[in-house]
Amino acid sequence: METMIDSRMIMTDFLAALFDKLDVAAVAAMSKLPSGEKAAYTLFTDKSGLKECVPFFPAMPANAARAISKLTREEAPSKTVAVFLRPCELRALTELIKIKQASLDNLLIISYDCSGVFPFQKINLSDETKLNAYQDAVSTGKNSEGIRPVCAACTRFTPRGADIAISIVGRSADQPLVLSFPSEKGQTAAKQLGLDVSKTVEASPAVESLARERKTAEEALTEQVNESLSGAQGLVNIFDRCISCHACSYVCPICYCKNCYFDSQTFEYFPESYFTRMTAKGTLRMPVDRVLFHLGRLSHMGISCVACGMCEDVCPVNIPVSQIFKTAGSKAQAVFDYIPGENSDDPLPLLAYAENELEEFED
Amino acid sequence: MDEKKEFTPSIIYGLCSWCGTGGSETAGAMHLQYAENIRPFRVPCTGAIDPVYILRALIEGADGFAVSGCHPGDCHFDSGNYRARRRTAVLKSLLDTFGLDSERVWLRWVGHGEGKRFADTVNEFNDHIKEMGGNPLAKRRDT
Ligand code: SF4
Ligand code: SF4
Ligand code: SF4
Repeated sequence: METMIDSRMIMTDFLAALFDKLDVAAVAAMSKLPSGEKAAYTLFTDKSGLKECVPFFPAMPANAARAISKLTREEAPSKTVAVFLRPCELRALTELIKIKQASLDNLLIISYDCSGVFPFQKINLSDETKLNAYQDAVSTGKNSEGIRPVCAACTRFTPRGADIAISIVGRSADQPLVLSFPSEKGQTAAKQLGLDVSKTVEASPAVESLARERKTAEEALTEQVNESLSGAQGLVNIFDRCISCHACSYVCPICYCKNCYFDSQTFEYFPESYFTRMTAKGTLRMPVDRVLFHLGRLSHMGISCVACGMCEDVCPVNIPVSQIFKTAGSKAQAVFDYIPGENSDDPLPLLAYAENELEEFED
Repeated sequence: MDEKKEFTPSIIYGLCSWCGTGGSETAGAMHLQYAENIRPFRVPCTGAIDPVYILRALIEGADGFAVSGCHPGDCHFDSGNYRARRRTAVLKSLLDTFGLDSERVWLRWVGHGEGKRFADTVNEFNDHIKEMGGNPLAKRRDT
């Protein structure tokens, strides 16, 4: 456990200090949109807009790892950019780095113990009652009513791999930020911020109790998904109402492919092939390849699914996509003892092979 | 029981151009008999078989899908077979999660000179799939 210290700064002071003392080129965090209802991930290049900044607003309009990929893929920023990321966004970023879609150079990663987010459609900046109840849940280390099911079942909610970690769970919203600096970059930042490191703060027991609640929820979710998914019938039932919009893959941070295989020519058929299929099966639901898309997508990226919940958030017909991907993904990950995003040194299982291994999968 | 004997499974057999195909040629040269209901197809390397092709076959009508390529250490492209093995592991794990009989997919190395191993694999897999019966997913009209 890293030493946590009382920074004596509230969020506005901290954001300003990033510019003033760390001399960052930009800060990336959630900020209020002009409509006054929603917030979006935003890049601030100076302090002027910071009063609109709401880093902890419990919604995820996009997995921010995608934004960071765009900022760093071709070349690293020339000056430090401080980026706020939720733990699952940070894990997604780590996976993207492994496939050379992002880089950590000149990024200062700020993360925090995450209490989850609401489905994007279900939360507005003006929802005071909901937001107050959420804050109560944060301070007491409980799952808030109404957060996304994969968030409620997320057991990796601590900011592993951050340069600066903010401790929120079990603390009230108006107290000064409790910070720790787990990395070398973080240690340097701490010095530049000029913090009094003697003012240490104890870890809150609320983190442990939240972890226990999450673990139980995760087991229940896994069991429920496994039950609903059994056999061809279960599979067809669950994806029955899928309209094949592929939105789930468009928002997935791991599905980075410029031209998704499933939107490629491979899956454009000549009219004749529809008639061949129809003859073979008697009837043909259009568009085709629904189950194939989901199973195929899982076979491509399930090993890296960080259970961020984006796919489920955007599904127009409420298919529990991320609950399914989290469950199936974890099982495939377990084959390789792989935890996506946990450790940047662990190679991607589909990009590293050994001569003597996995013999149990041969026949 | 009789019904199972009647059942002629539809089986796809993915063979790499080097060892798998070589094995089938050797089997031919040795005049070995093997089940005729398999449909072999050739790929440059087992590592080139995206699991999506296997899934597509299983959804579109195949009862089983076998893959054969070079033994470990013998891959023409050095590590394509290891890649195939990792992909197969992921695919089988997924099929298990969805209760879809991962046993319908086989991965077995067959060397260029191993004509007998090739013919045996075909027959063994054919019997195995006959035993399992038709693939429920392949019969669905609503996938
Ligand atoms: S599959 Fe869904 S839950 Fe998993 S990483 Fe992609 S968007 Fe997130
Ligand atoms: S489904 Fe496969 S091909 Fe499509 S974007 Fe995802 S990883 Fe790429
Ligand atoms: S977002 Fe929903 S409806 Fe669209 S392809 Fe994904 S599962 Fe199907």
